[in-house]
Amino acid sequence: MTTTNWRTINVDALDPESSYNFDLSTLTPQLAPVSTSSIQQLGNQVRQQLRSGDAEGALRVALSNPPYGAAAGEGGKDAHLATVVECLQSVKLADVGRVLERVYQGPGGVECLDVLVKYLYKGMAQSTSSTTTNSRPASSQGPGFSQIQARTSVEGGGQAMSVLLSWHEKVIEIAGQGAIIRVMTDRRTV
Amino acid sequence: MPPDGKIEDGIQKTATRANIFRSQSLRPYLLCVRSSLTAALSLSNFASQATERHNVPEIEAQTSPELLLNPLTISRNENERVLIEPSVNSVRVSIKIKQADEIENILVHKFTRFLTQRAENFEILRRKAVKGYDISFLITNFHTEEMLKHKLVDFVIQFMEDVDKEISEMKLFLNARARFVAESFLTPFD
Amino acid sequence: MAAPEVHLLFHHPIADHSFSGDRSLLAVARDNNVELYKRTGNKFNLKDELKGHDKTVTSVDIAPNSGKIVTCSQDRNAYVWEPSPEGWKPTLVILRINRAATFVRWSPSEGKFAVGSGARVVAICYFEEEDNWWVSKHLKKPIRSTVTTLAWHPNSVLLAAGSTDSHTRVFSSFIKGIDEKPELSVWGERLPFNTVCGEYLNNAGGWVHSCAFSPSGNVLAFTGHDSSVTVVYPSGPEQPPSAIVNISTQLLPFCSLIWNGENEIIAGGYDCEAYRLQGDESGWQLAGSLESKGRASGGVQDESALNMFRQMDLRGKIQNDTQLKTVHQNTISTVRVYEGSGSTLGKCSTSGVDGRVVIWTV
Repeated sequence: MTTTNWRTINVDALDPESSYNFDLSTLTPQLAPVSTSSIQQLGNQVRQQLRSGDAEGALRVALSNPPYGAAAGEGGKDAHLATVVECLQSVKLADVGRVLERVYQGPGGVECLDVLVKYLYKGMAQSTSSTTTNSRPASSQGPGFSQIQARTSVEGGGQAMSVLLSWHEKVIEIAGQGAIIRVMTDRRTV
Repeated sequence: MPPDGKIEDGIQKTATRANIFRSQSLRPYLLCVRSSLTAALSLSNFASQATERHNVPEIEAQTSPELLLNPLTISRNENERVLIEPSVNSVRVSIKIKQADEIENILVHKFTRFLTQRAENFEILRRKAVKGYDISFLITNFHTEEMLKHKLVDFVIQFMEDVDKEISEMKLFLNARARFVAESFLTPFD
Repeated sequence: MAAPEVHLLFHHPIADHSFSGDRSLLAVARDNNVELYKRTGNKFNLKDELKGHDKTVTSVDIAPNSGKIVTCSQDRNAYVWEPSPEGWKPTLVILRINRAATFVRWSPSEGKFAVGSGARVVAICYFEEEDNWWVSKHLKKPIRSTVTTLAWHPNSVLLAAGSTDSHTRVFSSFIKGIDEKPELSVWGERLPFNTVCGEYLNNAGGWVHSCAFSPSGNVLAFTGHDSSVTVVYPSGPEQPPSAIVNISTQLLPFCSLIWNGENEIIAGGYDCEAYRLQGDESGWQLAGSLESKGRASGGVQDESALNMFRQMDLRGKIQNDTQLKTVHQNTISTVRVYEGSGSTLGKCSTSGVDGRVVIWTV
């Protein structure tokens, strides 16, 4: 029998009525499950749009269908992050403000930018966790993301981060602090 | 001890590299921290719902998952990042200070140890840094009530700016002193 | 628009404030006490202190007609204060809760009041003549976290409760012998105690800071920590609402909101400013701030050149950035109706963490 340190057991958590056992899934509306294949399909569609030079349209498509919830799995979510990052990198720095303005004015624009800010934070969190702990298998990262990884090793991720940071600056100029607040409160994580 | 020329070269190199990075991404990085922190510092007075007649920082107590928000990571590159963990009545801000080599490692460790041992003089400084970070701040609703919010944010930003400067200055002094010591030790044996 | 009337009472957070029916008396919650201010001319002077709570007072409400004051605190208690020849006399309310009391409001009928609490219940309190004390009945299901805010429907039976579990719920608080049978409304027809008439969640989540029924009682608005305001238009009993409009703003979250007529909401919060929102069932939008921008705020400031250079010389300071451009210098915690005729609002009052109470002409 393994020895258990009884003193460290959190007895409150054993009570189903306790506040420790709050069911966080009740904080989100019903989400439609997204399959990994549909994420890939979406990624391909976005890349096609990127190749035809329609960065704005590609960004809008990528941001209007984010895979939420556990059904998409970490792999699917990372793949979609790669797609979004690829969109961001394909826009010239000088055009960022204009593109954002147009996405914001478009249908569902507020929602789109909220999702974009989520991806910006995820992108920044991702690179640090994957380079420092190395716990993520490389195969789960999509093609776009492996590109950043390559750069990370060369320049300490500074380049990739500065893309995300400059987008962040521009988005907040347009969507305001509210967008950051919603990244924090929204349990539909990307 | 390497010959003088090499040390100087090394310093020169790190200095220029630091300058490049500064102009490249320090401003958006700090801007991002500023806006994220401002958003996270929307705190309210909130009594514990786990313990009777208590009012504790929820981010430290971690008794109710619904009172904690999604943490935000802002990174400039893999060695420099900020983690913001918001909750209903408190925010934990953790900073990873840039450490390019072993000397900086030691300096940062000594420096943060010096500060955290005097934490009570800093109001918002946490006695122990969050794992993976060099220094942490704990800001509660009582701080935002008695101090101006934008000044609190300014303080953290100022700290981040100064700590880099401080560390690189200390490194320069350390190297200069090491050279002097080496010289005076080695001269008699010439 | 007339300039707002600013009263800086002290440098301390005001958790909640309430004016008496004739607006001559102002009650503010400060730390463990409630302070009563009397209006003389255009100033408020401290007249009385209600001492009794031993933890932070979270909420205070004066019944407009009877003049009774109800207070609640993080010490788990609520008191009803009545004027007597010897001063204000408190009566302890039998709340039966074991966590902080967070919010209290009199029902429009003034026969009962509701207390929200961290014990995941709302206590509906009413006076029992036989025993001569205030007793309570609990609204429990399906609240899963601290109740942060409450709002009464004009019929004094329906009660909206917002909670940190991100949901706003509409309950029936019908108590036999106290309430008259309510008229049929869009929220339901038969309403025994603890009937849940509606449960709403906004997409981005975040705990609910404030909720309010429109003057007609047929529309419910609530605001959460995701910086959005959600307006719910119910279509009838047991039916899905005909419209739920969600306005995500670019601002920091709102802490409190009130209705002005059926098509305008006034909300204030972490931006230290009160904003207007306008719209109807087809859509709502932010319509700007209550403050007129560009004026010098916060009283007299010595802006002479001598002073500027002296500041630069002595303190190395180029500009004064310790003052916000808004009237409130910190978060607005409560917005209240100050003066209204019928369904429209004449004036509203706000109080905040900066210790100011401001009366705005809407």
